[in-house]
Amino acid sequence: MKKIDVQKQILKIAPVVALLILFAVFYMVGTIKDINVAYGMKAIINQSVVVAIVATGAVFIYTLGSFDISLGASVAVSALLGGIVYNATKSILLMLAVCVGIAVLVALFNSVLASVFNLPVFVTTIAMLSILNAVVLMLISANGTGSQIAVPSEAVAGLDNLGIKVLVLFLFEALCIFVFNFTKIGRKQKFLGSNPVCAKLTGISDKKMSIVAFVMSGIGVGLGAFLCIIYAPTLTKNTATSVGMDVIIAIVFGGMPVSGGARSKITAALIGAFSMTFLSQIMILFNLNLGIGQMVKAAIFLFVVFVATSNQRAKMLPR
Amino acid sequence: MKKNRMNIIKRLIGISIIPLGTLWIMLAFCSVRGVILFESEGNYIAFFRAAAAVMLTTFALSINLNSGRFDFSIGSISLLSSVVSATVCMKLGLPVGVMLILSLILGAVLGAVSGIIYVFIQLPPIIVSLGVALLFEGAAFAFTKGYGVSFVTNIELISFPGILNYSLVILIGLVAIIFLFEYTQFGYEYKTLLSGQKVAVNIGIKEKTNAILCYIISGGLMGVVGFITATNTGNIQIALNFGSIGVMFTAFLPMFIGGFIGRFCNEKIGYLLGAVTTAFISLTYARLNVSSSVQQIVTAIILVIFLIYLNNENKLKQLFMFDRKVYADKEQK
Repeated sequence: MKKIDVQKQILKIAPVVALLILFAVFYMVGTIKDINVAYGMKAIINQSVVVAIVATGAVFIYTLGSFDISLGASVAVSALLGGIVYNATKSILLMLAVCVGIAVLVALFNSVLASVFNLPVFVTTIAMLSILNAVVLMLISANGTGSQIAVPSEAVAGLDNLGIKVLVLFLFEALCIFVFNFTKIGRKQKFLGSNPVCAKLTGISDKKMSIVAFVMSGIGVGLGAFLCIIYAPTLTKNTATSVGMDVIIAIVFGGMPVSGGARSKITAALIGAFSMTFLSQIMILFNLNLGIGQMVKAAIFLFVVFVATSNQRAKMLPR
Repeated sequence: MKKNRMNIIKRLIGISIIPLGTLWIMLAFCSVRGVILFESEGNYIAFFRAAAAVMLTTFALSINLNSGRFDFSIGSISLLSSVVSATVCMKLGLPVGVMLILSLILGAVLGAVSGIIYVFIQLPPIIVSLGVALLFEGAAFAFTKGYGVSFVTNIELISFPGILNYSLVILIGLVAIIFLFEYTQFGYEYKTLLSGQKVAVNIGIKEKTNAILCYIISGGLMGVVGFITATNTGNIQIALNFGSIGVMFTAFLPMFIGGFIGRFCNEKIGYLLGAVTTAFISLTYARLNVSSSVQQIVTAIILVIFLIYLNNENKLKQLFMFDRKVYADKEQK
């Protein structure tokens, strides 16, 4: 095997290695500091699962070379409407349906707006972010106590267990892997992300693929919103605020290029989401000041991405 | 001669139609509600403050965005530079002018850090700027132990707000940016890189130096934005987990408006007029006591409608038969 191939293989597995190292560090520090590691792991899964699901769906958008900045706000609106519907009907199934339905509708609106009117996707999602953030405030002031909308915790207590969360994550991950790796949709999306002109010339419709990508992302957002309610049934204006940015970080941390294309992979979102949460938990274990913790997290994030993409340097600066 | 005069008239209409049209609409809204848009000195100060802050943010965002570099870190630069400069000036009892200069320098230094990281690790700017935003937010938090900075009782540091001061900031900012981008070698190289990165690099333009300078200028501008925001309220609140990113969203509408006006004059003047347009809208919101939620929705809808127009201009012209020649040709066919 050539030296360059070995290097490529090493870089390919770098995100997984980083995740394993972070897990090992977490385990060691937790053990040394005499902290209940099993409980810590439970917290990590609880915190990672929403970002992992939303990011997994978002991979479809990123593969096309686009990005959606409104995902966090979309999670919040879907969760709030799901909560309102639950409070009115007492039906968990209806709550789930509303969460997914609203998220898919928002995603469809984004993609149709961008496709029909030829708008750059990032701008439509920025506008959507503003609108959704405003809707969050309006929903809370109109339907809640003024500062929150609460679903009775006993109503979702039965669902608040790791088994269900991991099952939802596993099923959605399996669906996305199937669509992305074993159907024409995934291949077309990678082609469009790598070379949009060539892909269009071969008859691939970028508009159709964009709609499919946003729908898949919407399903992820809806499931994420549902799990948000289960984990924290008291919904406020701060619900899922950082999810939008965490998704970008998770995808990149997991080893996927932000420019999308052929190197895109579904599992990147899962690996990245868990890596980021491990990192945050390690910072907490070290009792670091929140600000310093965030600085260390940023430095490690940049370092890992730098190492993972070190075979992609060009003569010119990336844009 | 006649053609020249027509061209000048066409350009004047193109330059003024959006700001003047917006002002007219805003005045109409206010008069319907029985409110005077510019009633007191405070209203003028609020207008000039919004115009200054938004213009500088738009310059800062557009410098890199026009080059394909999406920079999420500008808000965090504004935050960290103002936190440090305000703290230093409070502790040493320095005047507000020093705080302005210190904010500018600190912003430029932070911009340089951001640019050097980008050039050194050569990752897509969107990723680098996310990392840098986290880094600077964390630094601001650590610097103030999470409490932020408050200098509401420091009369000297909150003495800056005033029509003259904001007008000077607008004037100096505009002249400096036009000079840097239109009359220096850096500006020429920036434009060359903008129009053809590969060719520019191949003919020997130092892309990395140019990129770092762009980040320095952008950072310096955001330092001044941080200063304007801080001296307005005398309070700086700390943001973590990308809480500082919101600042950049204020610049999108003026940037696109400026892009449109830039067809008829210098693009930077277009950005100023874009900022003035959004300042009219902001003042109307304040005068009519519009809730922040409604403000966000209306601004987003204006942005989308404006972009729909920009991206479908030719189709719309054909649809409404403004472009009679195209329409006539189509009819003939």
